[in-house]
Amino acid sequence: MRLEAKLALFNALSKLLLVVLGALVIPPIVGRVATAHTDHHLHQKKEEMLALIRRDGLVAFVREKQSEAYADYNILKQEYISITPEPGAKAVPRERIFDELRQVEQEIEDFRILSYTFRGPDQRPYRLEIGSSLATVELLTATLRRMALWVLVVGALLTVGTDAVFAHYLLRPLRDLITRKLRGVRHPSAFTYEPVDTTTNDFRRLDDSLTDMMRALESAFAKEREFMSNVSHELLTPVSVLQSRFENMLQDATLPEPHSLKIVESQKTLYRLRNTVKTLLLIANIENARYLRDEAVPLASVLAEVAEELEDRLQQRDITLTVDLQPEYVVPRANRTLLFTLLLNLLSNAVKYNRQGGRILVQGRPAADGGYEVRVQDTGPGIAPENLPHLFDRFRRFAGGTGAPEGYGLGLPIARTIATFHEATLTAESVVGEGSTFMLRFGAEE
Amino acid sequence: MHVLLVEDEKSLHNEVRQFLREAQYLVDSAYTYAEASEKIYVNSYDFVLLDLGLPDGDGLQLLREARQNERQEAAFIILTARGALDDRIRGLDLGADDYLPKPFSLLELTSRMQAIVRRKFGLKRQELTFGPGFVLDATGRTLRYQDQEINLTKKEFDLLHYLLLHRGRVLTRLQLGEHLWGNVLEDDSDSNYIDVHIKNLRKKLAHYSPTDFLETVRGIGYRAKSE
Repeated sequence: MRLEAKLALFNALSKLLLVVLGALVIPPIVGRVATAHTDHHLHQKKEEMLALIRRDGLVAFVREKQSEAYADYNILKQEYISITPEPGAKAVPRERIFDELRQVEQEIEDFRILSYTFRGPDQRPYRLEIGSSLATVELLTATLRRMALWVLVVGALLTVGTDAVFAHYLLRPLRDLITRKLRGVRHPSAFTYEPVDTTTNDFRRLDDSLTDMMRALESAFAKEREFMSNVSHELLTPVSVLQSRFENMLQDATLPEPHSLKIVESQKTLYRLRNTVKTLLLIANIENARYLRDEAVPLASVLAEVAEELEDRLQQRDITLTVDLQPEYVVPRANRTLLFTLLLNLLSNAVKYNRQGGRILVQGRPAADGGYEVRVQDTGPGIAPENLPHLFDRFRRFAGGTGAPEGYGLGLPIARTIATFHEATLTAESVVGEGSTFMLRFGAEE
Repeated sequence: MHVLLVEDEKSLHNEVRQFLREAQYLVDSAYTYAEASEKIYVNSYDFVLLDLGLPDGDGLQLLREARQNERQEAAFIILTARGALDDRIRGLDLGADDYLPKPFSLLELTSRMQAIVRRKFGLKRQELTFGPGFVLDATGRTLRYQDQEINLTKKEFDLLHYLLLHRGRVLTRLQLGEHLWGNVLEDDSDSNYIDVHIKNLRKKLAHYSPTDFLETVRGIGYRAKSE
């Protein structure tokens, strides 16, 4: 998952949490605030009433001697005030606040009621009730609640959006770094040293260390290249001298036959040395990216060339070669010479390790992942399972057994190096007694 | 044929010079860039065999220099042990006529030189005759006996051609193999394929003439008889 997506997701989740929390916490708080507010209001009213009673006496409210209640309410029945004589009450003054249903005229409503028992100026106990309709309070709290939630949700959505945009902007240098500098860079020479445009110190530092690292790598590559070039010169020049000398010696007509034979033997040894050196150089040079991959190469044509090259050996051992590519495949970025070497090595092995009159099947099919797979199948003696994992190791030969002739040495390591160079994989499977199959798999196009 | 051999490695220089002299070339020697540069300026050569890794300069620069000198018509063959691909491209771009990576076979070197001569003098057809009436046409890649064409595989033809080019010399299986398979890297020096080819060639030729032209030199290789 991308960093940006993760940030956005985290952001959205945390905002969602906030909204849920808000939805849970806001209603009770609003309710309590509203209740407290109402209670405060009721108290005020009570004080006002008591003040009025102290000033004017109860006469204005309660008719003398008639134990009659006084009640007043506003027309909307939101509030009422009543004063009732309470002959039986003892403990005065006493105050309670509670919710209760009350009937005002013909309607029953839920009221928040402050009830206060007190002794009037005439020393008789009275009960003062001030009620405030809860319908109003509830309406208010509902509205408040709704508004608070809306503000929360809208705020959350807005900030999630702006955060995402900001994260996108903030992370642009990182994206640049990845797409421009890292993706597709397989060798320091393909690296762009142009700094990424950023004001974020962390990215600046990342970019700088990447650049430093690439420079170090590039210089290491250059050194190795130089070293290989020198080694190749130092090793191949003496081989060259010897080879020429042997050739000159063989031209001497007076050379006794036993000496000639010795020289031919020496020539063979030298040839082996030469090939080993050249192979190692080839592998080193491929790994050092000294070869270009700049052509689209049709496999069929390379295979045709290889088949022609091997024609005589096939004939000699009476081996049938079948090439079956369905559909044909063009390796998009390839080095033709190297591909030729790769396939030649595979096929020449298939000839070498085959039986007289055997078969070689070269089969090309699209791979499941969108790539392409070439299978080179022989009818040779096969490779023992314990040898399979070491097949592509340099300088490993196998102890007799499955009749492996000399020279399993460097052909397959070369083949694998070339395959890797082409971002392909080369693997082998084998059934002893039936034959071996080498699978060359080109990756899907990016 | 006048050849300038530019090679700083003394022993290799001596071997190549010896071989070329025996093959009737007139060989001039240069061991350094300075020497070579002077000799190329003063003399006129048919061939310059140029080692790229000279102690006092880049061989390719020498080639560039020579190409600007209109009087110098020498064919350049680059010899290098650097074995680097880009050297090769640069060499051919600059107008080298051929390129031989070290180590090379001296026989291969002389056949390349002959090929360049053929190209240079516009020899459209190069025919080699042998035996009582065999004609090998190197350009058309055919072998005829009197008026009949003999079918040879590519490898058989190349083998016969190479043996005829070096008529009278013993060629080892290795030398023949190297010519046939060139720089194809194979680590087994299993050159008994050569024997098979020779056997087939002999069979085909014997069909027309009973004399055997391809002589086996026991333990060493083959030789095309010089007449």
